[in-house]
Amino acid sequence: MSTKEQKERTELLQGTLDLLVLKTLVLGPAHGHAVAKAIEFNSDDVLQVEQGSLYPALHRLIKRGWISVEGGISENNRRAKFYRLTAKGRRQLAVETSKWERLAGAIARILRPEAQEGKS
Amino acid sequence: MRRRKRMLKELDQDIRDHIELETQENIERGLSPEEARCAALRKFGNVTRVTEETRAVWGSVWIEQLRQDLSYGIRALWKNPGFAIVIVLTLALGIGANTAIFSVVRAVVLAPLPYPQPDRLVVVWENRPNVKTLGTSYPDFLDWQRNARSFGEMAALTSRNYDLTSPGVPQHLDGMEISSGFFATLGIKLAMGHDFTPLEDLPHGTPSVIISDRLWRDRFASSPQALGKPILLDGAEYTILGVLPPGFRFLADADVYTPLAQGEPLFYDDRTIHAFIGIARLKPGVSIGQAEGEMSAVQEYLDRLYPVADGNLGTNIVPLKQVIVGDVGGTLLLLLGAVGIVLLITCANVANLLLARSAARTREFAIRSALGASRERIVRQLLTESMLLAMTGGILGLIVAKLGVSLMFAEFAQNLPRAESIGVSLPVLFFAFGISLAVGLAFGLVPALKSSRADVRGSLKSGDRGSTSAHPRSQRALVIIQMALTVVLLVGASLLLRTIDDLHKVNPGFNTQHVITFKVGLSPSLTRTASGTRIAYQQLLDRIRQVPGVQAADFTNIVPLSEQDNGGPFWVGPQQSTSMQDAPHALYFETGPEYLQTMEIPLLRGRFFTPADTPDAEPVIVINSVLAHIYFRDQDPVGQTITVAHWHTARVIGVVGNVKHWGMDDPGTYNPSQIYISFYQLSDQWIPAFARALSVAVRTPLDVATIMPAVKNVVYGTGQDQPVYNVRTMQQVVSESMSSQRLPMILLGVFAALALLLASVGIYGVVSYSVTRQVQEIGVRMALGAEKRQIFQMVIGQGLRVAVVGLTIGATAALILARLLSSFLHLLYGVGPSDPVTFASVSLLLTVVALLACYIPARRASRVDPMIALRCE
Repeated sequence: MSTKEQKERTELLQGTLDLLVLKTLVLGPAHGHAVAKAIEFNSDDVLQVEQGSLYPALHRLIKRGWISVEGGISENNRRAKFYRLTAKGRRQLAVETSKWERLAGAIARILRPEAQEGKS
Repeated sequence: MRRRKRMLKELDQDIRDHIELETQENIERGLSPEEARCAALRKFGNVTRVTEETRAVWGSVWIEQLRQDLSYGIRALWKNPGFAIVIVLTLALGIGANTAIFSVVRAVVLAPLPYPQPDRLVVVWENRPNVKTLGTSYPDFLDWQRNARSFGEMAALTSRNYDLTSPGVPQHLDGMEISSGFFATLGIKLAMGHDFTPLEDLPHGTPSVIISDRLWRDRFASSPQALGKPILLDGAEYTILGVLPPGFRFLADADVYTPLAQGEPLFYDDRTIHAFIGIARLKPGVSIGQAEGEMSAVQEYLDRLYPVADGNLGTNIVPLKQVIVGDVGGTLLLLLGAVGIVLLITCANVANLLLARSAARTREFAIRSALGASRERIVRQLLTESMLLAMTGGILGLIVAKLGVSLMFAEFAQNLPRAESIGVSLPVLFFAFGISLAVGLAFGLVPALKSSRADVRGSLKSGDRGSTSAHPRSQRALVIIQMALTVVLLVGASLLLRTIDDLHKVNPGFNTQHVITFKVGLSPSLTRTASGTRIAYQQLLDRIRQVPGVQAADFTNIVPLSEQDNGGPFWVGPQQSTSMQDAPHALYFETGPEYLQTMEIPLLRGRFFTPADTPDAEPVIVINSVLAHIYFRDQDPVGQTITVAHWHTARVIGVVGNVKHWGMDDPGTYNPSQIYISFYQLSDQWIPAFARALSVAVRTPLDVATIMPAVKNVVYGTGQDQPVYNVRTMQQVVSESMSSQRLPMILLGVFAALALLLASVGIYGVVSYSVTRQVQEIGVRMALGAEKRQIFQMVIGQGLRVAVVGLTIGATAALILARLLSSFLHLLYGVGPSDPVTFASVSLLLTVVALLACYIPARRASRVDPMIALRCE
């Protein structure tokens, strides 16, 4: 067992979560709980991510300047932090999405070799 | 950083809100409040971990881990305080010694001179065929000043002593006579008042003086009113013109500066008296080479213009710093090298200890590695620990350095130029920090890399404490290096020890035992006229000779071995037959008639001076055997005549033994001829000039503390204003004359002792460790019938092998280094660089030490109980 592998695996997961957060925020600013709910809902509960792991991801994105944070009032009239996609974040989303699609495509081809053969 | 704080401040609140929202939703979905909260928490995950991970996003992971490594390191070291203390102390000694030497080297050699643009300052020497550096005569200097275009400013100076009699108590002061423009040449601005103008720098100018900050504080309580006040020097009134900034010093300590042209006309008005030092500031863009070119043309012109005085004189321009630092630079660099070796040994020793320890910690690293620690992480952990040790050692080292510097200062301040600026300054702190860092890396890296490569499965499985995966080869190599380096230091120290020992055995030509020398400032009221001065000295000596315990006493203008110079030309026969520069030169002793007997300089032919050799009698001289041998080869010199420059044609009345004036290792190349003249026979005009230089020598079996109060009593009895100063025994003078060897000898000795200690700890560690590792093997051997003696010899043999290899390498290196150094530094006397006695005794010493270091582990090995050893398995 090597720690290097471990590191890559977590990075992959982190990257994915980042992508999902960015994608969620395209629709407009949202607070933390709402983002978590949206990810769960949109993925039909397939991605059973612990809600807590959202927070390191949010802070990572703020630090990179992809999202910004502002104060606001949540639907039940409480003060909450709203996260908003920045222009830079929007650009990054495009990059990440195409990267993800390439990766997903590649994995799909590996997992279904007959389809690949059929095509070529 | 601030953003991080703000972002993290509300994190806990955000998480609480999040969980609350989730709970609320769950309640709306119909769960009971408790169930709702549990579900929300479950869904959220570990709150603490989330907080930590979010923090990690903002904090630099590196710093966070460093903090962890540090606290872990401190705990690990705390658990084993003996180990940590040994290492830290070792490092403190190594780093401290290096820092101390560096602070000396920095102050003396590296630091620029404390004047603006110091590298433009030069000393202009004169020279003649056999003498490379000769002071300048003042008329020559004035001609240079008029003609040379290479220099911005020029100044001449000479040292002079003054007796201050008012205001306050009488006191002897060191001072200088300077030409106007001296401070301007150096670029020094006075703290108060103004510099001499060319008007004061005239033979009959207003007597004026510039005083040091120290004198200003002592005598005038730092009052600005001091300007224009009179002070009484040597009985004459001088007006204070200016006060120097604190700390100003040029070549020597001085408290009063007077205009050169108000000094002794016999000196400054004579082109043949080379009593001055010429300094100059090079114009911007002018190189020393260009200035030298111009100056040699100027001097050639003077040689043609004044063939008798200047014929064959040349000039020689040397950077001021080189003049000030002198030969000490080489010695100090040698010491820096030596102390660097000590540092290497220190590193090797600590690396060895760490290797042994890391071997014992193999299991710990295996576990960490199994739990997912990367190799870098483990290396980093180990390096952090070494850095921790190094920095602690460094801080303690600063204390060691401070102590070392003050010890060295107490011992050698007088023999080191610029000693006043030695101290632990900012660059020294940086140096200490830098070497601590380097040392931490050096001794930490090897063990760190070695241990982190440990085989995880092996160490975990074997279940022992890791002793099987030790690093005996690296350890042995480190000990061999230590041994070799120690040999180098020991050889260096003992060569110098032998040199000093030999120097002490040298007969300097007089009896150095039981002689005390000191200076007396005779009251100005007694020395107004030449005849008065003669009488005053006669009476002074009569009184001193009557002090109980004084066997003999008389005075001399130059004390042997104290570096005082008084050279001048002479001609064999009744007239001046060549130019001054082409004439042979001799060292002139102007002494009292009983000086030769007082010093017990042996009479070889003829007679000593007698009281009958008065100013009115025929001028007579005593010469040394060297002069007799060179210039009178087959004839008897007694009864012959010699013409002494600036004096008379005199009759030789006696020949005495040669005195090693320039040091016990005086090779006799500079002014080996010596001429003694009776002070009382000097011409009236010369009496005041020489009287100022006189030192009294007293032969007495009593020690200084016993005899000097009585001597001072009789001196004070003749006048209240007569300070007695510079009291030194001839033994002190002798040992100071060896300071160029004594300084490196003592320090090399200390370093070598330190190295020996460290090396013996090293060899002990290795042997003792290998015994621990071999316990089972020893047990087997004993079970199979090996005797205790054999086991003992086996272990001793292991240690000796290491020692012998180290010795061989070290001796070879020492042989090469000693040869190199002796050709560079001329420190050795009487012993060759490959002195067999030195090498043999160093080898013997090291072998004995190695044997002693092996003795304890060997005894332990021979007492191994085979049953216990085997059962351990």
